[in-house]
Amino acid sequence: MDREWSGIQQFPLATQTKLLELLGTLKEKEKNSVTILVMGKGGVGKSSTVNSILGERAVAVNAFQSDIPRPVMVSRERSGITLNIIDTPGIIEGGFINDQALELIKRFLLNKTIDVLLYVDRLDSYRVDNLDQQIIKAITRSFGKEIWRKGIVVLTHAQLTPPDFLSYDELFARRSEALINVVDSEARLIRRENPGHALPAVLVENSSRCTINDGREKILPNGIAWIPNVVETITKVATNESQSILVDPNSIDGPNANERGEWLIPFILGVQFLFVTQVKKWIKDDIAKAPKSSWE
Amino acid sequence: MSSIAAGTGQFLTLRHRRNRSNLQSSPSSASITTSTITCHQIKSQNPNKPTKNPHPKSSFFPFSVKNLAVSAAAGVIFHAALKNPSFLGSGGGSGGSGGGGYGGGGGGGGGGGGGWWKWVLSPEANADENQSEWDSHGLPADIVVQLNKLSGFKKYKVSDLVFLDKVKSIIVGSDDSFFEMVSLRAGGVYTKAQLQKELETLATCGMFEKVDLDAKTNADGTIGLTVSFTESTWEEADHFKCINVGLMQQSKAVDIEENMTEKEKMDYMRAQEREYRRRMERARPCMLPRSVHGEILQILSQGNVSARMLQNIRDRVQKWYHDEGYACAQVVNFGNLNTNEVVCEVVEGDITRVVIQFQDKLGNVCEGNTQIGVVKRELPKQLQKGNVFNIEAGKQALRNINSLSLFSNIEVNPRPDEKNEGGIIVEIKLKELEQKSAEVSTEWSIVPGRGGRPTLASIQPGGTVSFEHRNIKGLNRSLLGSVTTSNFLNPQDDLAFKLEYVHPYLDGISNPRNRTLRTSVFNSRKLSPVFTGGPGVDEVPPIWVDRAGVKTNITENFTRQSKFTYGIVMEEITTRDESSHISANGQRVLPSGGISADGPPTTLSGTGIDRMVFAQANITRDNTKFVNGAIVGERNVFQLDQGLGIGSKFPFFNRHQLTMTKFIQLKEVEEGAGKSPPPVLVLHGHYGGCVGDLPSYDAFTLGGPYSVRGYNMGEIGAARNILEVAAEIRIPVRNTHVYAFAEHGNDLGSSKDVKGNPTEVYRRMGQGSSYGVGAKLGLVRAEYAVDHNSGTGALFFRFGERF
Repeated sequence: MDREWSGIQQFPLATQTKLLELLGTLKEKEKNSVTILVMGKGGVGKSSTVNSILGERAVAVNAFQSDIPRPVMVSRERSGITLNIIDTPGIIEGGFINDQALELIKRFLLNKTIDVLLYVDRLDSYRVDNLDQQIIKAITRSFGKEIWRKGIVVLTHAQLTPPDFLSYDELFARRSEALINVVDSEARLIRRENPGHALPAVLVENSSRCTINDGREKILPNGIAWIPNVVETITKVATNESQSILVDPNSIDGPNANERGEWLIPFILGVQFLFVTQVKKWIKDDIAKAPKSSWE
Repeated sequence: MSSIAAGTGQFLTLRHRRNRSNLQSSPSSASITTSTITCHQIKSQNPNKPTKNPHPKSSFFPFSVKNLAVSAAAGVIFHAALKNPSFLGSGGGSGGSGGGGYGGGGGGGGGGGGGWWKWVLSPEANADENQSEWDSHGLPADIVVQLNKLSGFKKYKVSDLVFLDKVKSIIVGSDDSFFEMVSLRAGGVYTKAQLQKELETLATCGMFEKVDLDAKTNADGTIGLTVSFTESTWEEADHFKCINVGLMQQSKAVDIEENMTEKEKMDYMRAQEREYRRRMERARPCMLPRSVHGEILQILSQGNVSARMLQNIRDRVQKWYHDEGYACAQVVNFGNLNTNEVVCEVVEGDITRVVIQFQDKLGNVCEGNTQIGVVKRELPKQLQKGNVFNIEAGKQALRNINSLSLFSNIEVNPRPDEKNEGGIIVEIKLKELEQKSAEVSTEWSIVPGRGGRPTLASIQPGGTVSFEHRNIKGLNRSLLGSVTTSNFLNPQDDLAFKLEYVHPYLDGISNPRNRTLRTSVFNSRKLSPVFTGGPGVDEVPPIWVDRAGVKTNITENFTRQSKFTYGIVMEEITTRDESSHISANGQRVLPSGGISADGPPTTLSGTGIDRMVFAQANITRDNTKFVNGAIVGERNVFQLDQGLGIGSKFPFFNRHQLTMTKFIQLKEVEEGAGKSPPPVLVLHGHYGGCVGDLPSYDAFTLGGPYSVRGYNMGEIGAARNILEVAAEIRIPVRNTHVYAFAEHGNDLGSSKDVKGNPTEVYRRMGQGSSYGVGAKLGLVRAEYAVDHNSGTGALFFRFGERF
């Protein structure tokens, strides 16, 4: 049903080979479909990243906020593997989370399984601000903290010249570290729990002026061809030991606290009945112990 | 031979007036008045007269209490002050009918002429009213005139009064107990007849062997009176016995006839003695405690038994009784004198009957609407037949009856029982309140119309219509209703109504179990504290929660404070926004200034209207009491709302709250009026939790004057489970107290378990502490509280108590 991933042919040969190899890996792991959720602040290049990975203009890139922020899913099939990429609008509005937009995304994702979450941010914004925290918090709240086991931090606008005192790798390390720390604290994912697991970070440069190497692959200032790298990371995360996240109604509204423990009510009532009986006894004691006047 | 006669005529009134216009238990004045208690003079014979008392071993000393005034006044809280019996007779408390005492009461047989008794008037009554008019004696100055030589037509002014003890040849001071026997006062104006009567009284009272009254003329026309007397004395005694002769038949003495032979006289005396012994055996023991007994033995060890000593003993015994509240107890007689045991005969004042009477507005006895059982069950058992009358029990009865709110005037009078010697009939006189009442209060709010001038259309008649039907069927059932609106012409805008039916004595009027059934139809409108902003959030559009429904519950009162209530509530809850439109979600102010209606849902159904039926139970255990005005003790309240699955979305839940407050007295203090209260440490804990369906209007909120002080209502959060802890220390200062407190409220991480998480949506912390200091100024608390979340303090004025 899904459209053939024709965009793959746009890529240079080296990239194509690598991608097909990765698809083969997925096939080996009997993963026929990979769903990727892309989230992040507005204007960091989420849609562009999606387009870059697919190698076609699959989603409309809008430099300015679209009228109705709606999530969009693009599905491409290649050699028996279906790639579903869900691009979401920025959920930040005027400095706060737009609950309505978030709600829309959640409804859109209902009954879908998320294999990979791409958390997109810019490499060239040096500070982790309150907005990052809020989005990470909102994501955690919406899908549960387990989603971060399927998470990848994507840093866009990777083609930049770092400040003099920092090397490019150092900058990347620091920037990704800062974001991962926020995720760790907000999602309360303690690394101790899972020492082998750390949120992977990848770099992306969507600009058409991106440097290319001899094989016409888009490369980053540190020389890595980023598209295969991203897809590789996606493959790794999609096939890691953590369960994919199924978005069910429970996880949308959070666990329904109104239903939790309802079956316990008869027992609670029983205990409360005993307690009331005990209080009655105390009252009787009080009456017996009440100091009496001499005439009584 | 000798006489025993007891006449206790007393009139003790406990009176309570209720302010008719205030139907609630608003300040109503109450007074308890004990007017003069008079005991009748009893005929007695001088026991030492050999001719009349040939048998020295048994003699009697009848006593008379001339004039006794006990007065007490009481406020609403009944700080009744019981004045010590004063013999000066000018008794009468506030609102009381003091003054001249009189009484009925049984006399007894007496020796001599069959016994007689007479009224003794209070001294004021004895003295001539018009003090200025008196006659000069018309005799030369400085001569001693015998009483019978005075003119019977003149009014003599007594300039001074002297008591002369003939045995010891000393003048007795005015502080002596004899003085109280005499109603004459220096400066009074008396006729010869009055003086003679006084002398007669003194001679017959049994205290004196011999009494003379001489007048000494003064140069200014007045006379000086000298009372010379010989005190009666008996043999020394080293035993004391107190017996209760109340309700006993007084011994009927047979006169010694002149023509009796010596043998007959002896036989007669023996018979008398036997009879007295039998009487002593029959008598019940009296309540006098050992300690007083010991004191009296000490008095006895002072030497020969004299009239004054007996008077002392009588005073001591009576003082104990009156201090304990046995206001009707009287020492009526001393018997067995001249043996080594003094027998004190006491009439303690046994209740022979309790009479409940209704009075109409004019004070005439009428048939009451109230059933007697309603009043009877309020009487303490100490006021029932067969108990000794105690004024405290009387006051308790007064308070209990008053709390029925059925009577405008309540009087509890003990009065002597004519048919039963020494018995007391407790008379309860009640004036009933009007059964039905209706009230309309209106207010006009004039709203400026066009051009700022009020037009006719802009004048809104608002107000309250209420009616009350009390004491239906005389069983204290009542039906109350009220309707309040700010505009009668358009009442659908804001109509508050309440209709309540109260049915007490559910288990029958004679059953001591006290259960009351209440059914009410109600509505209410409250601002929801769930939709409140946290610190720094300027304004959250308010949500009004309207509730309307029917409620039925049964309250069982264990004590005045401890009770158990259970019942069922059926209600419809509607949530509205500021402009009274039904709103299903809370609103948020967007940073752009717009309002979005995508906040947390306000109702369970999600439509803005919920209907539900649930069971409710509440048990309160309260053993707090006041120690000099400071509250001390423990109060625990457990409340439960159990959803039954009936209503919108079939709500099934268990919502429970437990409040525990302990008032710990930190220092022992002496209790009594005017004494300073102890410092008190208050510890308070409140847990609230809900399992199952929880609509936001039923979520527990944190912050506010009754939750965590220093915050606004709901400023800390709204959660499924909450815990509040507080400590307060109260230090008395003068007649009020200052206090310092620290409080903490916590949502236990359960804010997210309320649908829509209103705590987070409105940017609240979910937990918060505060501390501060304050002072109680009458009803108002002035306090400075620091809110720990923002670190800022503010001064608050609040009505009522936090705990």
